[in-house]
Amino acid sequence: MLQINDVHAGYGNLKILRGVNMQVPTGGIVTLLGGNGTGKSTLLKAVSGLIPLMEGEVLFDGVGLSGMKPHERMRLGLVQVTQAKEAYPAMTVEENLVLGAYTRRDRAAAAVDLERVYEFFPVLRERRKQLSGTLSGGEVQMLVIGRGLMAKPKMLMLDEPSAALAPKVVLEIFSNINRIAKTGVTILVVEQNVRMALILAQYGYIIRDGVIMMEGEAKKLISDPAVKESFLGGSVANSSKALRK
Amino acid sequence: MGFDYNSLLAFIIFGVTIGVVYGIVALGISLIYSGLDIVHFAHGEMYMFGAFFGLVLAHNVGVPYPIALIGAMVLTALLGMAVERVFYRRLTRAGGGYTVAGMGMIICGFGMSVALVNVAYFIWGAEAEPFRANLDYIPRLSFPGDIEVPESYVLTAIISVALMAALHYFLRHTKTGLAVRAVAHNKDIAYLMGINVPLMISLIFGLACGLGAAAGVLIGPMQSVQVEMGYLMLMKAFAAAVVGGFGSLPGAIIGGIMVGVFENLGAAYISASHKDIYAFLLLILVLMFKPSGLLGVDAKVKA
Repeated sequence: MLQINDVHAGYGNLKILRGVNMQVPTGGIVTLLGGNGTGKSTLLKAVSGLIPLMEGEVLFDGVGLSGMKPHERMRLGLVQVTQAKEAYPAMTVEENLVLGAYTRRDRAAAAVDLERVYEFFPVLRERRKQLSGTLSGGEVQMLVIGRGLMAKPKMLMLDEPSAALAPKVVLEIFSNINRIAKTGVTILVVEQNVRMALILAQYGYIIRDGVIMMEGEAKKLISDPAVKESFLGGSVANSSKALRK
Repeated sequence: MGFDYNSLLAFIIFGVTIGVVYGIVALGISLIYSGLDIVHFAHGEMYMFGAFFGLVLAHNVGVPYPIALIGAMVLTALLGMAVERVFYRRLTRAGGGYTVAGMGMIICGFGMSVALVNVAYFIWGAEAEPFRANLDYIPRLSFPGDIEVPESYVLTAIISVALMAALHYFLRHTKTGLAVRAVAHNKDIAYLMGINVPLMISLIFGLACGLGAAAGVLIGPMQSVQVEMGYLMLMKAFAAAVVGGFGSLPGAIIGGIMVGVFENLGAAYISASHKDIYAFLLLILVLMFKPSGLLGVDAKVKA
């Protein structure tokens, strides 16, 4: 569904991505892993169109995205879920969600989807008249995911959904992402929480210094000694059970 | 001799009326600041052009005053959008975001102000022109104690309040208004919501300039229309915006009313020849005790 071919990108003269190749198959969950400053966020910005490509191309559903503005890419169904800190704090929960459906013309269907998001995340319904600046970290994360769903995505790209959350909350968020994937939405998760991301995803890429350093089936990566050494710690088995529950 | 409460009341009423006009100009400045992160120094000229457009429409074309008002707002909005698109946007990051425009933007604003004044000189000359508007159908308001409020003041108050209400409704209760607020808060995220950010930036600029034009057409019948009229209005509106809290829309209106009342009372009870100083006196007083302005907002929750 998403194909990233030899992408070079950066800011001004500073090149961050130096030839990234990735593929996200339709209906799959793929994760992109890497530490701070490795180029994860830059790649998301390049795919969603916030920064231009220096070289290479990005295809979505077989359509080349070069020259398309971010809002045009979004209309194709390629939707980026922003980091949780990027909800609009001065807007209510419901206003944030309505904003997610901004590009849609089908008002009635959008209203149905709003209900669906509230069923998905009941806590958002309770808080719908509250300013989103007053929500807890986990609630804001649900809000930005819900906001992404309001756009009726074919594919959701999530930017570090586990950032700054307690492990228990991370588990809840990730099982929600799993539920969303089951409704047929293709998922790309950018993460630093390697263990959780590899349990969730089927396939993983590891980025370092702007190039893909390693890729493979998530099951293999999780037990790969090199990955284990550089990222992982602790036991995988417990979280795995809890997530699938 | 006892204190004359009637004249005090009269000064306050007139002060409030002028103040709401300062308020709508300040509203435009605040809207541009909170939406685009630029301080628009050529906004006084938008007010001046609005007044002239209104004058031309009312006198030369001969349309009724309300139509001239709307026409002037539309024309000035278009002028403002063109100025923003052609000159300002180039100075900003990649033509999309306005995040760090900085000093270049401020100097460009000043330059634009001088350029627009000279364009206006070229078209309309330096003469002050009276704005004759037929307002007979507006009732005069009488207050107890023989205070008569002229038609133009009544009209000004009504239209200003209507414009503020319309802007509030637009920003709070329409989808496009929601998008404007999203752009004001963060342009990158607004892009990710699928909002056409450059279009919204044009819209914000047009709205702000339209408000300035409305102020020009409203002030026209009270004073006369003159090419240099923008400077003083800009200063007063800035004072109003800062007093109310820069970037806060309700603050702009409250600041405007305070400036209007304060300067009318100062002119009445201290010295009429220093009328234009009082706005800045108020500004200094407010900044001394509450530097963020009365309704100063946290930069993160603007608009």
